Amino acid sequence: MFGWTGKILRVNLTEGTIKAEPLNMDDAKKYLGARGLGTKIFMDEVDPNVEPFSPDNKLIFMTGPLTGTFASSSGRYEVIAKAPLTGTIGASNSGGHFGPELKFAGYDGIIFEGKSEKPVYLYINDDKVELRCAEHLWGKTVYETTDILLKENGDDFRVSCIGPAGEKLVLFAGVLNDKHRAAGRSGLGAVMGSKNLKAVAVRGSNSIKVADPEQFKEACIDARAKLKAHPVTGAGLPTYGTEILVNILNQSGALPTRNWRDGGIFENAEDTSGEALTEKYLVRNKGCFGCNIGCGRVTRIPDGKFKSTGEGPEYEAGWAYGADCGVKDLDAICKASFICNEYGLDPITMGSTIACAMELYDKKIITKEDVGFELKFGDGEAIVELTRMAALREGFGDVLAMGSYRMAEKYGHPELSMSVKKQEMPAYDARGVQGIGLNYATSNRGGCHVRGYTISPEVLGVPQKLDQLVTDDKANWVKLFQDLTAVVDSAGLCLFVTFGIGLPEIAEMLRTATGFDMSDEEVLKCGERIWNLERMINIKAGFTKKDDTLPPRLLSEPLEKGPAKGKVSGVPVMLEEYYKVRGWSEDGVPTEEKLKELEIEL
Amino acid sequence: MKVKFFAFFRNYAKCKETDVPLYNDLRELLDFLCQKYGKEFEGKVYTKNREISDEVIILINGRHIAHLEGINTKLKEGDEVCIFPVAAGG
Repeated sequence: MFGWTGKILRVNLTEGTIKAEPLNMDDAKKYLGARGLGTKIFMDEVDPNVEPFSPDNKLIFMTGPLTGTFASSSGRYEVIAKAPLTGTIGASNSGGHFGPELKFAGYDGIIFEGKSEKPVYLYINDDKVELRCAEHLWGKTVYETTDILLKENGDDFRVSCIGPAGEKLVLFAGVLNDKHRAAGRSGLGAVMGSKNLKAVAVRGSNSIKVADPEQFKEACIDARAKLKAHPVTGAGLPTYGTEILVNILNQSGALPTRNWRDGGIFENAEDTSGEALTEKYLVRNKGCFGCNIGCGRVTRIPDGKFKSTGEGPEYEAGWAYGADCGVKDLDAICKASFICNEYGLDPITMGSTIACAMELYDKKIITKEDVGFELKFGDGEAIVELTRMAALREGFGDVLAMGSYRMAEKYGHPELSMSVKKQEMPAYDARGVQGIGLNYATSNRGGCHVRGYTISPEVLGVPQKLDQLVTDDKANWVKLFQDLTAVVDSAGLCLFVTFGIGLPEIAEMLRTATGFDMSDEEVLKCGERIWNLERMINIKAGFTKKDDTLPPRLLSEPLEKGPAKGKVSGVPVMLEEYYKVRGWSEDGVPTEEKLKELEIEL
Repeated sequence: MKVKFFAFFRNYAKCKETDVPLYNDLRELLDFLCQKYGKEFEGKVYTKNREISDEVIILINGRHIAHLEGINTKLKEGDEVCIFPVAAGG
């Protein structure tokens, strides 16, 4: 067995049973691992219409064939389940060291089924696998839980867990590992909480075998050299982290401001920029397992009432709490972002939901009586306090815990939720960057940038320069980026490698690691297969063409200033072309021929 | 007209932005800035063949110069030029 370990753990939380099962190698070849393989298992074993918090929903942790190997940035694992925020297939991945450690213990993944009567955690020390009592961990933060489990079991364990937000079923609670890395989106932490599963602590002592060690090493060295030499992965990301994008997007007129109401230019962007973060807060940069990029930020709020240390904020978190809430206080933005890690929340949805509440307040749809205090755009203290309240479902936090769509709907104004399929869109205005809007509209997990990051060619000019204001040919690009991303996620690599390397390098690492004789095209086909499988799960769950759209604001309220002045999103035009490019029906359903071509059996 | 600098370009320019005289086109402006800020700045902006380096993002009034006339883009009074190192995130 090469690349993969060949074993999956099946843990029935209702019965308290654990067994190791062989990996289905036919599926592994077709769906690679992590996101792809986890989704395939979900499709085979779970009704797509399952209630997300039902014991019948399964929570799947899955690594990829490159996870934990010498391949650069191979620290990823994916968490898969029916998502409570969206009702779509939920798949969210994370870096750090947990994924590799799971493989070192001898397992490609874990399928959790059922629901434990009492809080438990899964202990894995190579062959010794046990469900253990977690009553002493219930209510603890991510940091506390991790520290306690390391103290009890040893510093060489790696911990993935939920915080109070997951326990309290906040619809956008994440699964956090190594304290600061998050499988953050779509609420998979709440699924974990619904199963009374607090954590997984793992230690492994095995090595991962690859099919052709010499060729694999060569492929990895080649990829690493390219990442080192590329200005983005070798210099930009290590030096400034992702927050560097604040000024670029703002100057491009595509930084969504005040719940996307005030266009794409935030007048205080500089105060919240990567430059400001580097100057005042950065302690050092940090990489995940085997990464030679190192985009992570170890940061410190040096003084004042929010004085503390943590990691981040990443660009998306910095934007959600910054420009989107109209907040320029970087202390408050950092603190709110730290709390998301500590309590186990997705900062994109959290910040965006607060921004939506601020607009509801501004429009006098909600009042001080609803919130408990005034809630004006720009209020730094409010973003910190409301984040804590949402994590614990205290007061108005119980409303915020639903996410922006359900909150805005409760008050009669769902159109003010800046979400797709009830998941909040990230930090790029789709009126100012056309291709990313199509990606938001068609993403299989709702509003999301990392399912097909066309910002790279459209704004940053990597690997080539596409005009962000035009819709022509964007359908082709979106499909290509979505399929390639599915490959990267499923291989166990970090998406950021794609700034420096492409399909040929990734395919070569996969071939030499697994021994499977797959052409570059066949590898990309795996990505398309995964995309179509996710689509079929959503269709079976009741999603249709009408869900492939953007909030009305982006389709009917033109930007008023900046280079994209006068623009609305061209998603309605691009969508038809996209369905054609995908080989789907006019209603956006994969045809029988397409499913046959991709060898998808339902 | 105004030139804004970002990330490490601020180290070369020793400022976040500066007012400059009007130049005919981007090449003339960049030549002026290279003269003013020295070899390191020049090395980031230009390739050895005096083409725009792939390591830089230049926006004129928020538009990437690749979608204007590149280095030959004409400039006019009131234009705002932004110079970034190529970067990414997500």
